[in-house]
Amino acid sequence: MGTAPAQLFPEFIAETLGISGVPGQVVGALIAAAVIGNIVLAFTGVAGPWAKRKITAAFTDRIAVDRIGPFGLLIIPAAAVQLLAKELIVPEGVDRPTWDIAPILLPASALLGFAVIPMGHLGPVNLQLADPEVGLALVFAFASIASVSLVMAGYASNNKYSMLGGLRAVAQNLAYEIPLIVTAMSVVIFAGTLQMSGIVEAQQDVLFTIAGFDIPTWYALVNPFAFVLFLTANMAEIGRNPFDIPEAPTEIVGGYQTEYSSAYFVLFYLGEFVHIFLGGAILAVTFLGGASGPGPESIGFLWFVVKIWGFFLFTQWARAAFPRVRIDQLIEIGWKGMLVLSFANLVLTAVIVGVIV
Amino acid sequence: MSLEAPDTPETDAVTEHDPEELAALLGDLVVGRDDHLNAPGFVIRPDTVQETLSILKEQAGYDHLSVVSAQEYENRYESIYHLKKFDDPTQEVSVVVPADKDSPVSESAEPVFRTADWHEREAYDLIGIEYDDHPDLRRILLPETWQGHPLSMDYDKDQPQIASLPSHVNPIQEHHMDDESDTMFLNIGPHHPATHGVLHLKTVLDGEQVVDVESDIGYLHRCEEQMAQNGTYRHQIMPYPDRWDYISAGLLNEWAYARAAEDLADIEVPEYAQVIRTMGAEMCRIAAHMLALATFALDVNGDFTATFMYAINDRERVQNLLEDLTGQRLMFNYFRLGGVVWDLPEPREEFFSKTRDFLDQLPGSVEEYHNLITSNEIFQMRTIDTGILPPEVAKDYGATGPVARGSGVDYDLRRDDPYGYYDELDWDVITEDGCDNYSRLLVRMQEVEESAKIIGQCIDLLEDWPEEERNIQANVPRTLKPDDDTEIYRAVEAAKGELGIYMRADGTDKPARFKIRSPCFSNLQTLPEMANGEYIPDVIAALGSLDIVLGEVDR
Repeated sequence: MGTAPAQLFPEFIAETLGISGVPGQVVGALIAAAVIGNIVLAFTGVAGPWAKRKITAAFTDRIAVDRIGPFGLLIIPAAAVQLLAKELIVPEGVDRPTWDIAPILLPASALLGFAVIPMGHLGPVNLQLADPEVGLALVFAFASIASVSLVMAGYASNNKYSMLGGLRAVAQNLAYEIPLIVTAMSVVIFAGTLQMSGIVEAQQDVLFTIAGFDIPTWYALVNPFAFVLFLTANMAEIGRNPFDIPEAPTEIVGGYQTEYSSAYFVLFYLGEFVHIFLGGAILAVTFLGGASGPGPESIGFLWFVVKIWGFFLFTQWARAAFPRVRIDQLIEIGWKGMLVLSFANLVLTAVIVGVIV
Repeated sequence: MSLEAPDTPETDAVTEHDPEELAALLGDLVVGRDDHLNAPGFVIRPDTVQETLSILKEQAGYDHLSVVSAQEYENRYESIYHLKKFDDPTQEVSVVVPADKDSPVSESAEPVFRTADWHEREAYDLIGIEYDDHPDLRRILLPETWQGHPLSMDYDKDQPQIASLPSHVNPIQEHHMDDESDTMFLNIGPHHPATHGVLHLKTVLDGEQVVDVESDIGYLHRCEEQMAQNGTYRHQIMPYPDRWDYISAGLLNEWAYARAAEDLADIEVPEYAQVIRTMGAEMCRIAAHMLALATFALDVNGDFTATFMYAINDRERVQNLLEDLTGQRLMFNYFRLGGVVWDLPEPREEFFSKTRDFLDQLPGSVEEYHNLITSNEIFQMRTIDTGILPPEVAKDYGATGPVARGSGVDYDLRRDDPYGYYDELDWDVITEDGCDNYSRLLVRMQEVEESAKIIGQCIDLLEDWPEEERNIQANVPRTLKPDDDTEIYRAVEAAKGELGIYMRADGTDKPARFKIRSPCFSNLQTLPEMANGEYIPDVIAALGSLDIVLGEVDR
């Protein structure tokens, strides 16, 4: 890529504070990570107790929270206090410390993924923590740790429902992570790089122009087929309808979460929402041109926010509209359908890119 | 409308059997006669139950064992097998089996009718009759540790009871758990989001697949039969039926008691009241089916499904109408023996226009449900060909209502054993041939539309009814004392199926025996047939498609 890499967030902070060298890197990295982490956690804070309720209510002809504060927004602190004030019940026979690590691992893995996500510019600041050359591989690696956490929770809870949920989570993630990554590979073939900023960069050309509007080469527009595949696999990866079978409250009463209460429950919920946002972020970077959008580059972050919230809205819509598939049907769709399609897409993309470029 | 493929020789014109013919058919098996108001009754010896019932089933076509009612007399115990024909439920016969007072043992009918399994367990549990050759004679409604049989005469009500069960008990362990097999026992319920009340499914799993499922019921047993036995016919029993199938099917339940008691006391209901009853009952059916649809969507789609709220919304609309009519939304207590408690609300025009508004928007709602769920590919994948209940099995278990009609059993008491105003109106009985979860849902959705048709016609009739002829109640004596030793079994088509009442009068103003034939009780019995070998989600879907209400199962 010809353009000089933009200054990353930690470097920006180190420079602003006037610290150079290793101390600058450390201080900059810590502060930047705290800022990014808090942005993401703020999203989930809004999403969990408030936005999710409001969105679901809109889909189901209800009003939802509107008593506390403007638009019911103060339900967020109220819910936080309420959830944290609950007693943490540790069931008999749980396998500690596995049982305690699982709820920490889930949000941690999802948050780690955000380390390499280019969240765009906000004013002069480029909100990206790191931009390694293997960025895309790294983000999938982080996201996959989540399955380990689910298995740990399911196994350590000493509950048959949790066990079933944990087993379902593994089966589901195995069946969907491969098509997910293979589909992402087709993007890599287009972009010619695994670096996140490079992938975004490659989507900034003009595909064609309609009535004076430049349509960019977002991979969702270049290869809609891959986009749909990725979107579907992503829904399974984050475990939302129609693929919410590891939880399936009406069947296995919450699966791996069954035995968790209080702060641990909050951590699981948090982890799930961060995971949804990470899924949205990966989708935005690989298929929706990252933080790009109309207007100056300095408001890119806002476009990024719109995109990941758009994905969140989509998951909630799916939740209100779609039935849940059965575990055996899910495995069948994953291994017999998506895997084949994703490889077909990969080969086709490779051939087309090879011929054209 | 398609009917089931005939497995038996075509019985279009169902042969009528007069009692003498049946007596001749049974020959020496009959040792006496004990006719009921609804059917001839043959007294047989307690060791010839299977033989008698087989003859009646195979040779005379009585293929529907509605209910087994049992009771204790001063000098004997008695089990009554109420038989009907699925093809023509007006043809009934009762098989009366007296058993010895000191050691009440009677042969089980389970090998002939599978449905007798639970019914006889209930008779054993509450009355104390033991059934020989029964595969699994345990208590069913009361805890296993219960002492005595509460509906027997020498039962000591003051005796303290200890109702405890060892935790993590696995009563069917020995059948499935051995050293080699790796099955897992799982308690689904009594507190589980998908059991629609307090139902306990003892499930044995092989991975995600169900090896065996056994329903453990009785958590909501409220002695409804005994309470009815302590109430007077005229006023004190009517509020109870609302509490059986409490999913807003109240008027349908009330009708079951009203019909039985009116036939017992020979009360003629004015036509105008019958039209109001018909309209109210169908409103209840819509409300009940809407809830069935809503919870089924919840079971298959997961919580947060929009369909649930939409259907509940429609149910609220019909409940508004019922509130206008009866003053109540759930526990209506609107029927009286001989009619209804009061006329339509004034101003009548407003009630008619509200009802018409509801009927006008209903097809749109049903269309939306079809768009949202039944035409959804994932939903079809989940429900078509799962939870299979073949028609013969359904009949064997005495399944009725939408469950039977979803298996192609063309049985609807509103048409086949007409009561109320149904036979004057234009509507259809819905059946589907799929025998699966999907068919049962489709039947309910179409029945909602049929009910709307009925309500529309009732509204037209009521609107044009001359003011001077609006007679809402017959003249019924303040105290009803039906003749001693008259017995009757009468059923109506409730939301879930055949809801029947057996009553025996003893000359007082209270029934000597009051037995409720709950459709959910019989329908729930079919669950293992539908669930075994399927995946857990299919068991949940099958249970949802049975649409049971535990208040009615346990009574």
